[in-house]
Amino acid sequence: MPIKMWLHDMNPSMKFIVVIVSMLTLAWFFNPWTPFLFFIGIILFQAVFSQLNWRLWGLLMIPIAFTAIGYLWTTIVFAADTSGEILFSWNGWTVTDQQWETSLSLAFRVFAFSAMSFMFALTTDPVKFVMSLMQQLRLSPKLAYGVMVGYQFLPVVKEEFTQIRHSHRLRGIGAEKQKWKRIVGIKRLVIPLLSSAVRRAERAAFAMEARGFTGEKREVFYEPISLNIRDGLLSVLLLILLIGCCLAGWRLS
Amino acid sequence: MLKSWKLKEVVLLSVFAVVFAVVYLLFVHVGNIWAGVIGPIAYEWMFGIWFIVSIISAYIIRKPGAALLSETMAAIIEVMIGNAVGPRLILSGIVQGLGAEAAFAATGYKRYDWWVLCLAGIGSAVFSFAYGFFVSGYAALDPSLLAWMFTLRVISGAVIAGLGGKYLSDGLLASGALRGYAISQDSIKHRQVKGEILE
Repeated sequence: MPIKMWLHDMNPSMKFIVVIVSMLTLAWFFNPWTPFLFFIGIILFQAVFSQLNWRLWGLLMIPIAFTAIGYLWTTIVFAADTSGEILFSWNGWTVTDQQWETSLSLAFRVFAFSAMSFMFALTTDPVKFVMSLMQQLRLSPKLAYGVMVGYQFLPVVKEEFTQIRHSHRLRGIGAEKQKWKRIVGIKRLVIPLLSSAVRRAERAAFAMEARGFTGEKREVFYEPISLNIRDGLLSVLLLILLIGCCLAGWRLS
Repeated sequence: MLKSWKLKEVVLLSVFAVVFAVVYLLFVHVGNIWAGVIGPIAYEWMFGIWFIVSIISAYIIRKPGAALLSETMAAIIEVMIGNAVGPRLILSGIVQGLGAEAAFAATGYKRYDWWVLCLAGIGSAVFSFAYGFFVSGYAALDPSLLAWMFTLRVISGAVIAGLGGKYLSDGLLASGALRGYAISQDSIKHRQVKGEILE
Protein backbone atom coordinates (compact mmCIF):
# COMPACT_ATOMS: atom_id res chain seq x y z
CA MET A 1 0.00 0.00 0.00
CA PRO A 2 1.50 3.37 -1.00
CA ILE A 3 2.09 5.67 1.95
CA LYS A 4 -0.22 8.27 0.39
CA MET A 5 -3.18 5.93 0.89
CA TRP A 6 -2.59 5.11 4.55
CA LEU A 7 -4.97 7.66 5.99
CA HIS A 8 -7.68 6.70 3.48
CA ASP A 9 -7.33 3.08 4.49
CA MET A 10 -7.25 3.71 8.24
CA ASN A 11 -10.00 2.13 10.30
CA PRO A 12 -12.78 4.77 10.52
CA SER A 13 -13.68 4.08 14.16
CA MET A 14 -10.05 4.39 15.17
CA LYS A 15 -9.76 7.66 13.26
CA PHE A 16 -12.96 8.86 14.89
CA ILE A 17 -11.69 8.09 18.39
CA VAL A 18 -8.33 9.77 17.76
CA VAL A 19 -10.05 12.92 16.45
CA ILE A 20 -12.40 13.06 19.46
CA VAL A 21 -9.56 12.50 21.93
CA SER A 22 -7.44 15.23 20.30
CA MET A 23 -10.35 17.64 20.38
CA LEU A 24 -11.15 17.01 24.03
CA THR A 25 -7.48 17.44 24.90
CA LEU A 26 -7.05 20.69 22.95
CA ALA A 27 -10.07 22.15 24.75
CA TRP A 28 -8.02 22.41 27.95
CA PHE A 29 -5.39 24.73 26.44
CA PHE A 30 -5.71 28.50 26.30
CA ASN A 31 -2.25 29.34 24.91
CA PRO A 32 -1.91 30.20 21.22
CA TRP A 33 0.94 27.77 20.49
CA THR A 34 -0.76 24.43 21.17
CA PRO A 35 -3.62 24.80 18.65
CA PHE A 36 -1.37 26.57 16.14
CA LEU A 37 1.28 23.84 16.16
CA PHE A 38 -1.38 21.16 16.05
CA PHE A 39 -2.98 22.82 13.03
CA ILE A 40 0.36 22.86 11.19
CA GLY A 41 1.06 19.30 12.31
CA ILE A 42 -2.27 18.03 10.96
CA ILE A 43 -1.62 19.69 7.61
CA LEU A 44 1.81 18.05 7.36
CA PHE A 45 0.34 14.75 8.46
CA GLN A 46 -2.22 14.94 5.69
CA ALA A 47 0.42 15.91 3.14
CA VAL A 48 2.43 12.79 3.99
CA PHE A 49 -0.25 10.17 4.50
CA SER A 50 -3.12 11.14 2.21
CA GLN A 51 -3.94 12.19 -1.31
CA LEU A 52 -5.51 15.52 -0.76
CA ASN A 53 -7.20 17.90 -3.12
CA TRP A 54 -5.59 21.08 -1.74
CA ARG A 55 -7.76 23.35 -3.85
CA LEU A 56 -10.89 21.90 -2.28
CA TRP A 57 -9.26 22.05 1.13
CA GLY A 58 -8.50 25.74 0.66
CA LEU A 59 -12.04 26.49 -0.44
CA LEU A 60 -13.43 24.69 2.59
CA MET A 61 -11.17 26.70 4.86
CA ILE A 62 -12.55 30.09 3.74
CA PRO A 63 -15.74 30.04 5.88
CA ILE A 64 -13.67 28.66 8.76
CA ALA A 65 -11.46 31.74 8.57
CA PHE A 66 -14.59 33.88 8.98
CA THR A 67 -15.59 32.00 12.12
CA ALA A 68 -12.06 32.29 13.49
CA ILE A 69 -12.05 36.06 12.96
CA GLY A 70 -15.38 36.28 14.77
CA TYR A 71 -13.93 34.36 17.71
CA LEU A 72 -10.81 36.48 17.68
CA TRP A 73 -12.50 39.83 18.05
CA THR A 74 -15.27 38.64 20.39
CA THR A 75 -12.72 37.24 22.77
CA ILE A 76 -10.66 40.43 22.59
CA VAL A 77 -13.65 42.66 23.31
CA PHE A 78 -15.40 40.43 25.83
CA ALA A 79 -12.45 38.83 27.58
CA ALA A 80 -12.97 37.49 31.10
CA ASP A 81 -9.31 37.82 32.03
CA THR A 82 -7.95 41.35 31.46
CA SER A 83 -4.81 41.08 33.54
CA GLY A 84 -1.25 41.36 32.28
CA GLU A 85 0.69 44.04 30.46
CA ILE A 86 -1.13 46.43 28.17
CA LEU A 87 -0.14 45.79 24.56
CA PHE A 88 -1.95 48.72 22.99
CA SER A 89 -4.83 51.02 23.76
CA TRP A 90 -7.17 52.96 21.52
CA ASN A 91 -9.96 55.37 22.49
CA GLY A 92 -10.12 53.97 25.99
CA TRP A 93 -10.00 50.35 24.82
CA THR A 94 -7.03 48.46 26.13
CA VAL A 95 -5.77 45.08 25.05
CA THR A 96 -3.49 43.22 27.41
CA ASP A 97 -1.11 40.46 26.42
CA GLN A 98 -3.21 37.94 28.35
CA GLN A 99 -6.30 38.95 26.39
CA TRP A 100 -4.45 38.80 23.10
CA GLU A 101 -3.04 35.33 23.78
CA THR A 102 -6.38 33.84 24.79
CA SER A 103 -8.07 35.31 21.73
CA LEU A 104 -5.40 33.99 19.39
CA SER A 105 -5.68 30.63 21.08
CA LEU A 106 -9.44 30.40 20.51
CA ALA A 107 -9.07 31.50 16.89
CA PHE A 108 -6.36 28.89 16.26
CA ARG A 109 -8.52 26.34 18.04
CA VAL A 110 -11.17 26.89 15.38
CA PHE A 111 -8.53 26.23 12.70
CA ALA A 112 -7.13 23.16 14.47
CA PHE A 113 -10.57 21.62 14.97
CA SER A 114 -11.49 22.27 11.33
CA ALA A 115 -8.23 20.80 10.05
CA MET A 116 -9.02 17.63 12.01
CA SER A 117 -12.56 17.57 10.64
CA PHE A 118 -11.34 17.91 7.08
CA MET A 119 -8.73 15.23 7.66
CA PHE A 120 -11.55 12.93 8.73
CA ALA A 121 -14.15 13.97 6.16
CA LEU A 122 -11.85 13.97 3.13
CA THR A 123 -10.36 10.55 3.80
CA THR A 124 -13.31 8.55 5.11
CA ASP A 125 -15.95 6.66 3.17
CA PRO A 126 -19.30 7.38 4.92
CA VAL A 127 -20.69 3.87 4.45
CA LYS A 128 -17.52 2.27 5.79
CA PHE A 129 -17.67 4.63 8.75
CA VAL A 130 -21.09 3.36 9.83
CA MET A 131 -20.12 -0.26 9.14
CA SER A 132 -17.05 0.24 11.27
CA LEU A 133 -19.10 1.83 14.07
CA MET A 134 -21.21 -1.33 14.04
CA GLN A 135 -18.30 -3.78 13.82
CA GLN A 136 -15.69 -2.18 16.05
CA LEU A 137 -17.71 0.03 18.40
CA ARG A 138 -20.71 -2.30 18.80
CA LEU A 139 -23.34 0.07 17.48
CA SER A 140 -26.63 -1.85 17.32
CA PRO A 141 -27.25 -3.23 13.77
CA LYS A 142 -30.82 -1.93 13.98
CA LEU A 143 -29.43 1.60 14.34
CA ALA A 144 -26.57 1.14 11.90
CA TYR A 145 -28.77 -0.15 9.09
CA GLY A 146 -31.41 2.43 10.03
CA VAL A 147 -28.82 5.15 9.43
CA MET A 148 -27.83 3.51 6.15
CA VAL A 149 -31.45 3.54 4.96
CA GLY A 150 -31.66 7.22 5.83
CA TYR A 151 -28.42 7.94 4.00
CA GLN A 152 -29.66 6.18 0.87
CA PHE A 153 -32.79 8.35 1.02
CA LEU A 154 -30.77 11.53 0.81
CA PRO A 155 -30.95 11.97 -2.99
CA VAL A 156 -34.63 10.98 -2.94
CA VAL A 157 -35.42 13.62 -0.35
CA LYS A 158 -33.54 16.22 -2.37
CA GLU A 159 -35.46 15.34 -5.53
CA GLU A 160 -38.76 15.45 -3.67
CA PHE A 161 -37.89 18.87 -2.28
CA THR A 162 -37.41 20.33 -5.76
CA GLN A 163 -40.61 18.65 -6.95
CA ILE A 164 -42.64 20.22 -4.16
CA ARG A 165 -41.05 23.60 -4.90
CA HIS A 166 -41.92 23.28 -8.58
CA SER A 167 -45.51 22.30 -7.94
CA HIS A 168 -45.87 25.25 -5.56
CA ARG A 169 -44.50 27.57 -8.24
CA LEU A 170 -46.97 26.19 -10.77
CA ARG A 171 -49.80 27.23 -8.49
CA GLY A 172 -48.21 30.56 -7.82
CA ILE A 173 -47.33 29.94 -4.17
CA GLY A 174 -44.00 30.67 -2.58
CA ALA A 175 -43.15 33.92 -4.30
CA GLU A 176 -44.07 36.22 -1.42
CA LYS A 177 -42.05 39.35 -1.05
CA GLN A 178 -42.24 39.64 2.74
CA LYS A 179 -39.69 37.71 4.75
CA TRP A 180 -42.06 36.71 7.56
CA LYS A 181 -44.56 35.24 5.09
CA ARG A 182 -41.80 33.13 3.64
CA ILE A 183 -40.81 31.87 7.08
CA VAL A 184 -44.41 30.87 7.85
CA GLY A 185 -44.47 29.24 4.41
CA ILE A 186 -41.74 26.81 5.45
CA LYS A 187 -44.52 24.62 6.86
CA ARG A 188 -45.95 24.19 3.35
CA LEU A 189 -42.62 22.75 2.24
CA VAL A 190 -41.71 20.71 5.27
CA ILE A 191 -45.02 18.93 5.96
CA PRO A 192 -45.34 17.23 2.54
CA LEU A 193 -41.63 16.42 2.62
CA LEU A 194 -41.88 14.82 6.05
CA SER A 195 -45.13 13.01 5.39
CA SER A 196 -43.81 11.33 2.27
CA ALA A 197 -40.61 10.55 4.19
CA VAL A 198 -42.72 8.85 6.87
CA ARG A 199 -44.51 6.71 4.31
CA ARG A 200 -41.23 5.81 2.64
CA ALA A 201 -39.72 4.86 6.00
CA GLU A 202 -42.63 2.52 6.66
CA ARG A 203 -42.25 0.82 3.29
CA ALA A 204 -38.50 0.45 3.73
CA ALA A 205 -38.95 -1.09 7.18
CA PHE A 206 -41.48 -3.61 5.86
CA ALA A 207 -39.16 -4.49 3.00
CA MET A 208 -36.26 -5.03 5.39
CA GLU A 209 -38.34 -7.29 7.61
CA ALA A 210 -39.68 -9.19 4.62
CA ARG A 211 -36.09 -9.98 3.67
CA GLY A 212 -35.36 -11.38 7.09
CA PHE A 213 -33.66 -8.43 8.81
CA THR A 214 -34.16 -8.79 12.54
CA GLY A 215 -31.58 -6.35 13.86
CA GLU A 216 -29.90 -8.95 16.07
CA LYS A 217 -26.29 -8.58 17.10
CA ARG A 218 -24.00 -10.60 14.87
CA GLU A 219 -20.41 -11.76 14.70
CA VAL A 220 -19.92 -12.37 10.98
CA PHE A 221 -20.24 -9.60 8.44
CA TYR A 222 -20.53 -9.56 4.68
CA GLU A 223 -17.92 -6.81 4.38
CA PRO A 224 -15.60 -6.91 7.36
CA ILE A 225 -13.77 -3.65 8.16
CA SER A 226 -10.22 -4.52 9.17
CA LEU A 227 -8.24 -3.23 12.11
CA ASN A 228 -4.50 -3.73 11.72
CA ILE A 229 -1.03 -2.61 12.81
CA ARG A 230 -1.04 0.39 10.47
CA ASP A 231 -4.11 1.83 12.22
CA GLY A 232 -2.28 1.57 15.51
CA LEU A 233 0.82 3.22 14.04
CA LEU A 234 -1.10 6.18 12.63
CA SER A 235 -3.01 6.65 15.89
CA VAL A 236 0.20 6.60 17.90
CA LEU A 237 1.78 9.15 15.53
CA LEU A 238 -1.22 11.46 15.89
CA LEU A 239 -1.20 11.10 19.66
CA ILE A 240 2.55 11.88 19.75
CA LEU A 241 1.83 15.00 17.70
CA LEU A 242 -0.92 15.94 20.15
CA ILE A 243 1.23 15.43 23.25
CA GLY A 244 4.14 17.24 21.58
CA CYS A 245 1.95 20.26 20.83
CA CYS A 246 0.60 20.32 24.38
CA LEU A 247 4.13 20.23 25.85
CA ALA A 248 5.46 22.79 23.37
CA GLY A 249 2.57 25.16 24.09
CA TRP A 250 3.13 24.79 27.80
CA ARG A 251 6.87 25.52 27.47
CA LEU A 252 6.49 28.43 25.04
CA SER A 253 3.93 30.43 27.00
CA MET B 1 -33.21 0.15 25.11
CA LEU B 2 -33.87 -0.87 21.50
CA LYS B 3 -35.69 -4.11 22.40
CA SER B 4 -39.10 -2.48 22.55
CA TRP B 5 -38.57 -0.58 19.29
CA LYS B 6 -40.20 -1.67 16.07
CA LEU B 7 -37.99 -1.52 13.00
CA LYS B 8 -40.32 0.96 11.36
CA GLU B 9 -39.83 3.33 14.27
CA VAL B 10 -36.06 3.10 13.95
CA VAL B 11 -36.26 3.74 10.20
CA LEU B 12 -38.64 6.64 10.84
CA LEU B 13 -36.04 8.16 13.17
CA SER B 14 -33.36 7.86 10.55
CA VAL B 15 -35.49 9.38 7.81
CA PHE B 16 -36.29 12.32 10.08
CA ALA B 17 -32.60 12.47 10.87
CA VAL B 18 -31.79 12.80 7.16
CA VAL B 19 -34.28 15.58 6.52
CA PHE B 20 -33.11 17.53 9.54
CA ALA B 21 -29.43 16.78 9.00
CA VAL B 22 -29.72 18.70 5.73
CA VAL B 23 -31.56 21.53 7.48
CA TYR B 24 -28.97 21.58 10.27
CA LEU B 25 -26.06 21.80 7.85
CA LEU B 26 -27.70 24.65 5.97
CA PHE B 27 -27.97 26.55 9.23
CA VAL B 28 -24.37 25.78 10.16
CA HIS B 29 -23.39 27.65 6.98
CA VAL B 30 -25.68 30.55 7.81
CA GLY B 31 -24.24 30.59 11.33
CA ASN B 32 -20.63 30.48 10.15
CA ILE B 33 -21.00 33.53 7.98
CA TRP B 34 -22.84 35.42 10.72
CA ALA B 35 -20.24 34.37 13.25
CA GLY B 36 -17.57 36.21 11.28
CA VAL B 37 -19.47 39.43 11.75
CA ILE B 38 -20.85 39.24 15.27
CA GLY B 39 -18.85 36.41 16.88
CA PRO B 40 -20.09 33.19 18.49
CA ILE B 41 -23.28 34.90 19.70
CA ALA B 42 -24.49 34.57 16.08
CA TYR B 43 -25.46 30.96 16.65
CA GLU B 44 -27.41 31.56 19.82
CA TRP B 45 -30.73 32.94 18.63
CA MET B 46 -31.19 30.08 16.18
CA PHE B 47 -29.71 27.32 18.31
CA GLY B 48 -33.17 25.81 18.80
CA ILE B 49 -33.19 24.63 15.19
CA TRP B 50 -30.48 22.12 16.03
CA PHE B 51 -32.61 20.52 18.77
CA ILE B 52 -35.81 20.15 16.80
CA VAL B 53 -35.43 16.56 15.61
CA SER B 54 -35.30 15.15 19.13
CA ILE B 55 -38.48 16.95 20.12
CA ILE B 56 -40.36 15.89 16.98
CA SER B 57 -39.29 12.25 17.29
CA ALA B 58 -40.01 11.99 21.00
CA TYR B 59 -43.40 13.65 20.49
CA ILE B 60 -44.32 11.23 17.71
CA ILE B 61 -42.81 7.94 18.87
CA ARG B 62 -43.14 8.46 22.65
CA LYS B 63 -40.61 5.86 23.73
CA PRO B 64 -37.58 6.20 25.98
CA GLY B 65 -34.54 7.03 23.89
CA ALA B 66 -36.35 8.66 20.97
CA ALA B 67 -34.89 12.09 21.67
CA LEU B 68 -31.34 10.86 22.22
CA LEU B 69 -31.26 8.43 19.29
CA SER B 70 -32.76 10.79 16.73
CA GLU B 71 -30.32 13.59 17.54
CA THR B 72 -27.40 11.13 17.49
CA MET B 73 -28.53 9.69 14.15
CA ALA B 74 -28.90 13.16 12.68
CA ALA B 75 -25.35 13.90 13.80
CA ILE B 76 -24.00 10.65 12.28
CA ILE B 77 -25.73 11.49 8.99
CA GLU B 78 -24.32 15.02 9.11
CA VAL B 79 -20.86 13.46 9.44
CA MET B 80 -21.63 11.07 6.57
CA ILE B 81 -22.66 13.95 4.32
CA GLY B 82 -19.39 15.63 5.24
CA ASN B 83 -19.05 19.03 6.90
CA ALA B 84 -16.63 21.43 8.45
CA VAL B 85 -17.54 20.73 12.06
CA GLY B 86 -16.50 17.14 11.64
CA PRO B 87 -16.86 14.01 13.75
CA ARG B 88 -17.20 15.97 16.97
CA LEU B 89 -20.75 16.76 15.81
CA ILE B 90 -21.65 13.26 16.95
CA LEU B 91 -20.55 14.17 20.45
CA SER B 92 -22.56 17.39 20.48
CA GLY B 93 -25.54 15.50 19.02
CA ILE B 94 -25.39 13.03 21.90
CA VAL B 95 -25.13 15.86 24.43
CA GLN B 96 -28.11 17.74 22.95
CA GLY B 97 -30.15 14.56 22.72
CA LEU B 98 -29.41 13.76 26.37
CA GLY B 99 -30.64 17.22 27.36
CA ALA B 100 -34.00 16.69 25.66
CA GLU B 101 -34.18 13.11 26.90
CA ALA B 102 -33.69 14.31 30.49
CA ALA B 103 -36.84 16.44 30.27
CA PHE B 104 -38.94 13.57 28.91
CA ALA B 105 -37.50 11.18 31.49
CA ALA B 106 -38.34 13.64 34.27
CA THR B 107 -42.00 13.43 33.28
CA GLY B 108 -41.79 9.62 33.14
CA TYR B 109 -42.38 9.55 29.36
CA LYS B 110 -46.08 10.06 30.10
CA ARG B 111 -46.75 13.70 29.27
CA TYR B 112 -46.20 15.30 25.91
CA ASP B 113 -47.90 18.66 26.41
CA TRP B 114 -46.49 21.81 24.91
CA TRP B 115 -44.70 22.78 28.12
CA VAL B 116 -42.91 19.43 28.29
CA LEU B 117 -41.69 19.96 24.74
CA CYS B 118 -40.47 23.44 25.67
CA LEU B 119 -38.76 21.96 28.70
CA ALA B 120 -37.03 19.44 26.42
CA GLY B 121 -35.83 22.30 24.22
CA ILE B 122 -34.51 24.08 27.30
CA GLY B 123 -32.85 20.84 28.45
CA SER B 124 -30.99 20.59 25.14
CA ALA B 125 -30.01 24.25 25.41
CA VAL B 126 -28.59 23.86 28.91
CA PHE B 127 -26.69 20.67 28.10
CA SER B 128 -25.27 22.03 24.86
CA PHE B 129 -24.21 25.25 26.58
CA ALA B 130 -22.32 23.31 29.23
CA TYR B 131 -20.62 21.33 26.46
CA GLY B 132 -19.85 24.49 24.46
CA PHE B 133 -18.46 26.11 27.60
CA PHE B 134 -15.81 23.42 27.63
CA VAL B 135 -15.14 22.77 23.95
CA SER B 136 -15.42 26.27 22.49
CA GLY B 137 -13.59 27.89 25.40
CA TYR B 138 -16.44 30.12 26.60
CA ALA B 139 -14.55 30.28 29.90
CA ALA B 140 -12.40 32.99 28.29
CA LEU B 141 -15.40 35.24 27.70
CA ASP B 142 -16.92 37.92 29.89
CA PRO B 143 -19.66 36.56 32.24
CA SER B 144 -22.19 39.18 31.14
CA LEU B 145 -21.81 38.18 27.48
CA LEU B 146 -22.10 34.54 28.55
CA ALA B 147 -25.32 35.34 30.40
CA TRP B 148 -26.73 36.87 27.21
CA MET B 149 -25.68 33.89 25.13
CA PHE B 150 -27.21 31.48 27.63
CA THR B 151 -30.53 33.35 27.81
CA LEU B 152 -30.80 33.58 24.04
CA ARG B 153 -30.06 29.90 23.66
CA VAL B 154 -32.63 28.84 26.27
CA ILE B 155 -35.33 31.00 24.67
CA SER B 156 -34.42 29.69 21.24
CA GLY B 157 -34.55 26.10 22.53
CA ALA B 158 -37.98 26.60 24.07
CA VAL B 159 -39.52 28.53 21.16
CA ILE B 160 -37.92 27.16 18.00
CA ALA B 161 -37.36 23.57 19.14
CA GLY B 162 -40.25 23.18 21.59
CA LEU B 163 -43.10 25.14 20.03
CA GLY B 164 -41.77 24.86 16.47
CA GLY B 165 -41.40 21.10 16.86
CA LYS B 166 -44.96 20.78 18.15
CA TYR B 167 -46.27 22.96 15.31
CA LEU B 168 -44.56 20.81 12.66
CA SER B 169 -45.55 17.49 14.27
CA ASP B 170 -49.19 18.54 14.60
CA GLY B 171 -49.19 19.53 10.94
CA LEU B 172 -47.74 16.15 10.08
CA LEU B 173 -50.34 14.41 12.22
CA ALA B 174 -53.11 16.23 10.38
CA SER B 175 -51.74 14.93 7.07
CA GLY B 176 -52.58 11.40 8.23
CA ALA B 177 -49.11 10.01 7.66
CA LEU B 178 -48.57 9.15 11.31
CA ARG B 179 -51.25 6.50 11.65
CA GLY B 180 -49.68 3.59 13.47
CA TYR B 181 -47.42 5.71 15.68
CA ALA B 182 -47.99 6.55 19.32
CA ILE B 183 -48.93 10.16 18.66
CA SER B 184 -52.05 9.32 16.65
CA GLN B 185 -53.29 6.73 19.15
CA ASP B 186 -53.11 9.39 21.79
CA SER B 187 -55.00 11.89 19.68
CA ILE B 188 -57.71 9.30 18.94
CA LYS B 189 -58.23 8.98 22.68
CA HIS B 190 -58.58 12.73 22.97
CA ARG B 191 -61.15 12.89 20.23
CA GLN B 192 -63.19 10.07 21.73
CA VAL B 193 -63.56 12.16 24.83
CA LYS B 194 -64.95 14.95 22.73
CA GLY B 195 -67.19 12.43 20.95
CA GLU B 196 -65.85 12.84 17.43
CA ILE B 197 -63.64 10.25 15.83
CA LEU B 198 -62.28 11.37 12.51
CA GLU B 199 -59.61 8.75 11.81
